[in-house]
Amino acid sequence: MQDLRLLAQAKRGQRGLENKSGLVGWDEVTQGTVLPSFEGDATNIANLKSEERAYSNFNSYTATVASWRVKKPVFNRDICIDCQNCWVWCPDSSILSRDKQMLGIDYDHCKGCEVCVEVCPTNPKSLLMFGEYTELEEALAQWPEKKKKEK
Amino acid sequence: MAEKFDLQEREVWDGNYAASQALRQAQVDVVAAYPITPSTPIVENYGSYVANGYIDGEFVMVESEHAAMSGCVGASAAGGRVATATSSQGFALMTEVLYQASGMRLPIVLTVVNRALASPLNVRGDHSDMYLGRDSGWIQLDAFNAQEAYDMTLCAFKIGENHSVRLPVMVHQDGFITSHTAQNVYPLPDEVAYNFVGDFQPLDDMLDFSRPVTYGAQTEEDWHFEHKARQHKAIIDSRAVIEEVFAEFEKLSGRKYKRVESYMMEDAEVAIVALGTTVETAIVAARELREEGIKAGIVAPRCFRPFPYDAIREALENTKSVAVLDRSSPGGAMGALFNEVSAALYTTANRPLVTNFIYGLGGRDFSVAEAKRILKEQKAHAEAGHITTDIQQFSGLRGPKLGFFQTKRG
Amino acid sequence: MTEIRWHSRAGQGAVTGAKSLGDVVATTGKEVQAFALYGSAKRGAALRAYNRIDDEQILNHAKFMNPDFVLVIDPALAFTDNITEHEAEHTKYIITTHLSKEELLAGIPALAGKEERVYIVDCVQISLDTIGRSIPNAPMLGAFVKISGMFELDYFLDNMKRVLAKFPQKIIDGNMNAITRAYNEVK
Repeated sequence: MQDLRLLAQAKRGQRGLENKSGLVGWDEVTQGTVLPSFEGDATNIANLKSEERAYSNFNSYTATVASWRVKKPVFNRDICIDCQNCWVWCPDSSILSRDKQMLGIDYDHCKGCEVCVEVCPTNPKSLLMFGEYTELEEALAQWPEKKKKEK
Repeated sequence: MAEKFDLQEREVWDGNYAASQALRQAQVDVVAAYPITPSTPIVENYGSYVANGYIDGEFVMVESEHAAMSGCVGASAAGGRVATATSSQGFALMTEVLYQASGMRLPIVLTVVNRALASPLNVRGDHSDMYLGRDSGWIQLDAFNAQEAYDMTLCAFKIGENHSVRLPVMVHQDGFITSHTAQNVYPLPDEVAYNFVGDFQPLDDMLDFSRPVTYGAQTEEDWHFEHKARQHKAIIDSRAVIEEVFAEFEKLSGRKYKRVESYMMEDAEVAIVALGTTVETAIVAARELREEGIKAGIVAPRCFRPFPYDAIREALENTKSVAVLDRSSPGGAMGALFNEVSAALYTTANRPLVTNFIYGLGGRDFSVAEAKRILKEQKAHAEAGHITTDIQQFSGLRGPKLGFFQTKRG
Repeated sequence: MTEIRWHSRAGQGAVTGAKSLGDVVATTGKEVQAFALYGSAKRGAALRAYNRIDDEQILNHAKFMNPDFVLVIDPALAFTDNITEHEAEHTKYIITTHLSKEELLAGIPALAGKEERVYIVDCVQISLDTIGRSIPNAPMLGAFVKISGMFELDYFLDNMKRVLAKFPQKIIDGNMNAITRAYNEVK
């Protein structure tokens, strides 16, 4: 199963990119378009897990592109061999993995490109694309059987 | 021979497609290009015309815009008809070679799809790149819509290649607002367009083996000044050729162009001076204000270089108050168009009040309502007899009102 | 002057739809304008496309408009995007949805009191049935032809065939069916 605690962090994906409220004037924008990544002192930030970090509102971590997706990848824990292929290939760092164990998909930043499904080596695949509004249980119930090698 | 391209009398083209069709009809010998948003489709379309046999010329892929313009300089010096396209950062990278091209008097045509310059990074339209080219010694023609992007590109070849001119020519159109906006365009048939542009007439070409020549000679204080003066005179004198070419084009197309376009200026008391698509949006505003009894008009340099001091003066000398709109961040000065229009008007007896608006940077929308507001402000200046606001203001900017410099000149 | 605003996601064909509409309208001798605002947007990002139609050359290049028609070709954007922005008192809305009109209106408070000006059609399903992919632009054109009354259906279909001439016959047929079905089904 996906790690729901990691998937439901307070600051992740709280802003939509299409939301234009809160646009400030020329007197309040940052000098040089320089955008701080974190709030406050970030000296020890490398030692903190993402859910413990104080990401700033300029950080893409706090914005979501979930609405751009038409289809979503669904992760099946029971088949995954934790090879980390999807983690390596994902162009949007949307594969959540800890201590080389695959935990699930960051649906706030996944754009549904399907690269993770493409590179998944298991049989059947541990990641498959489903319609955006398909429930997790429903998707898992439809998972295909192992394909037999053609002789 | 190139394949025949199927054209309708009336097409619905965006500015990029219109420019690429004009390049095809001119049967350019060499296009060396490196694509960049929003001018990419010009190069893309042109590449497909070459690949599909609609053009006999060469398409050279290069590794940067600096190389693109360098390739154009080489091909033009060799003695061919040459063109390319660019925008923004690509234009900035070309800048060094732009001066080489004009200094060598090479009639290259550069279609520029105007876009903001980073930083901050921005792909949308403003006039930063056009202004960056204003001292480069190129003729700069400005199109306000897709039809004009087509028309001006055809005219550009005929102006630049004229042996009494022999200068490179830029044709500007607004990024996205023209380049990606489809409108009715009425193209000339291929043979009519080509005959208008005419066969390329080489001059001092390097491939003329009966008369070997050197390009790119070094000059120091004993020669440089004279060469630059002669070049400057050539671009100032190109005004007459530009007018001849526009007149000939009108006979073919029915579309009339002038170095300075004037709309409703016969009795105008207040006016906007602008470049690009803003000109047409402002015309809508002026028409609406005339129904409210305000005598408003619009003036627009079709020809940004050579700057039409003469025609600007004639167009505006009887006005009372003029707003000059600059779509480029002036970086610690008044806008360049404001400075040049003001200089022209300073020599008139009437000396209208002139104010400057910085607007539309990075593609910020410019509406009819805002154009009306600016024209009404000019009416207030005219009635007060002096400028009642800051001389330089910002239009469409978010945040507290921003403006600089005041005067009580009456 | 007729002004139209499309609400779509990149990849759904609003830009192509707006340009195709412009192409067909121009054949009637009218002047058209079709544009969209995009750039760094990837497939799936919300975008807006625009049309202006008039008897004289269109000079207004502003993005700002009080649209006569708002065409929503993504079902979710009807709820999340500000589809009533800068509306006029006569603005007509054509919204693609699989919901009933009552269900749709219940979810969009901004359309309260404008029920008479809201039309629905399931462009996504129609395009899946006729073209085989979710390309809801073509059916939306059929719905627009019906609601605007700007053209006879057959006239529009004939001209659309010319616009699509470079495509294989199968795709042309699919688009013709999509336009016709949406024309008949919009309500």
